[in-house]
Amino acid sequence: MSEDLVVEDLHAGYGDARVLHGVRFTVRQGEVCAILGPNGAGKTTLLRALSGVIRARGTITLGGTSLTGRSPDAVARLGVAHVPEGRGTFMPLTVEENLRLGAYVRRGPSVEEDLERIHTYFPVLKKRLKQAAGSLSGGEQQMLALGRALMLRPRVLLLDEPSLGLAPLVTRELFRIVQAINTEERTTVVVVEQNAHLALGIAQQAHVLETGRIVLSGTAAEIRADEQVAQSYLGYRV
Amino acid sequence: MSTTKAKVERPASVRKGGGRFDWRWAGLAALLAAAVYAPFQLVPFHVFQLTMVLVYAVALLGLNLLVGHAGQISLGHGAFFAIGAYTCAILLDRFDLPYPLTLPLAAAVAFVLGLALGVPAMRLRGLYLALVTLAIAIFLVPLLKRFEELTGGSMGLTLAKPTPPAWSGLAEDQWLYFLTLAVAVAAFLLAASLLRSRVGRALHALRDNEIAAEVMGVRLSFYKTLAFAWSAMFAGAAGCVYTWVIGFVSPDSFTVNLSITLLAGLVVGGLGSLSGPVLGGLFVMFVPSISQDINDAAPGVIFGLLIIAVMYVAPTGLAGLAGRLIKKIPRKE
Repeated sequence: MSEDLVVEDLHAGYGDARVLHGVRFTVRQGEVCAILGPNGAGKTTLLRALSGVIRARGTITLGGTSLTGRSPDAVARLGVAHVPEGRGTFMPLTVEENLRLGAYVRRGPSVEEDLERIHTYFPVLKKRLKQAAGSLSGGEQQMLALGRALMLRPRVLLLDEPSLGLAPLVTRELFRIVQAINTEERTTVVVVEQNAHLALGIAQQAHVLETGRIVLSGTAAEIRADEQVAQSYLGYRV
Repeated sequence: MSTTKAKVERPASVRKGGGRFDWRWAGLAALLAAAVYAPFQLVPFHVFQLTMVLVYAVALLGLNLLVGHAGQISLGHGAFFAIGAYTCAILLDRFDLPYPLTLPLAAAVAFVLGLALGVPAMRLRGLYLALVTLAIAIFLVPLLKRFEELTGGSMGLTLAKPTPPAWSGLAEDQWLYFLTLAVAVAAFLLAASLLRSRVGRALHALRDNEIAAEVMGVRLSFYKTLAFAWSAMFAGAAGCVYTWVIGFVSPDSFTVNLSITLLAGLVVGGLGSLSGPVLGGLFVMFVPSISQDINDAAPGVIFGLLIIAVMYVAPTGLAGLAGRLIKKIPRKE
């Protein structure tokens, strides 16, 4: 498998506050990559830099095409779907309108096919198509956010803390769906998570981000076996 | 695709069920019938008042695109109204243009200026945007007075009103009313179709969550600027019709007060709904004169108090209040 997403020497931040200091990692095509790390490590900033929401210095390439310096809409057009922190639900719009907005950069009959496809992943959304998205539960909104991102037919899916504020059972269901999407659609996934157990459960590769730098990289199994990680993120000693 | 699209994009107020939708069309048809019937029953002054309601409604329709649907603010829309009014006046005064031609030209001038001012303004948000748009409204009045050659300065310009064609058999006030009604209906249809399109969806998305909208591919600055230019265009068209109806423009008719009244009227009428601008137009037209009747000394105070009262009773505006009341009417299942 070829390397798809390549990040080298990435620096980003907000105004004077530098958050990322030379982040470097690669993700192979069709792989799930987990980014672990404590609060304030720069996980969300990393995803924002990848999708162009904030300006970044350094190199980001997707299949050889540079993403650095592109606007978020241009990055989206290249097939990067970002599920932002806090889900980014368009509350007053209906579930269906939210989903259709996901396909904003595309047109044509394939949008209808994709709506059907989303319903097979998330049957709960089908029942609520005409309902205002703001009336959904947190878990349903996260599913909507994921479904909406899929409407882009993404090459890369960026997930920002999908477990945030959800019940454990819902979170597990969500990760099961992410895994299904990854295997069935061959979508590359970069998932930022505090819940290391779940993230490592579906990831092939993982990186630990601390204060804006990647301090540890390896396969999911290696990271899981690392004593430091076990103590800090998994809550037990190996 | 197109059939399902039309099904999806409807304003929030009609989204809840199929039953109410038919009521809406029936209501709309009845309203239109009443609007056509009214000028034959009313005295000329009341016809004039209704005409002004429609003029304001067109301006508010545009402001609603920007504020209610794209979630931006403008404290300067009176300026675009004035630009439309003056463009029309100057074209009539200087170039003797037939009046129907002034409408597209006034709308175009307002659109272009909206675009030019929107490009820098729409990079700001919240209070900063409010201030910049307020500045547009503030500097326009002295500018109009300064270019006396063209604008007539403080004295303004007096123009002949459009005369009703003989075949119509209408009086002047009725003819002006129907001209305005035609413009208002066209503006209403244009706004509705804009909002139902993919563009309307993009506006709603950036209003509700900017980051989510942009990572989905919605170009924020492009759509914000476009929304600003459109709303300026509607305001300009309304201003042009204003000149037809009043036959006189002067800088003091378009002070900052007008901009603020427009925004207040829109919020009172109901942000983000299609009926809000019409209700807002009624409010802007009638409430100042009613409050004058209640208390001669302080119409402004009464006007202000009424705005506060409406905001407490109906935080979603009069359109929202009407929606809630309709819901309370028991219906056969």
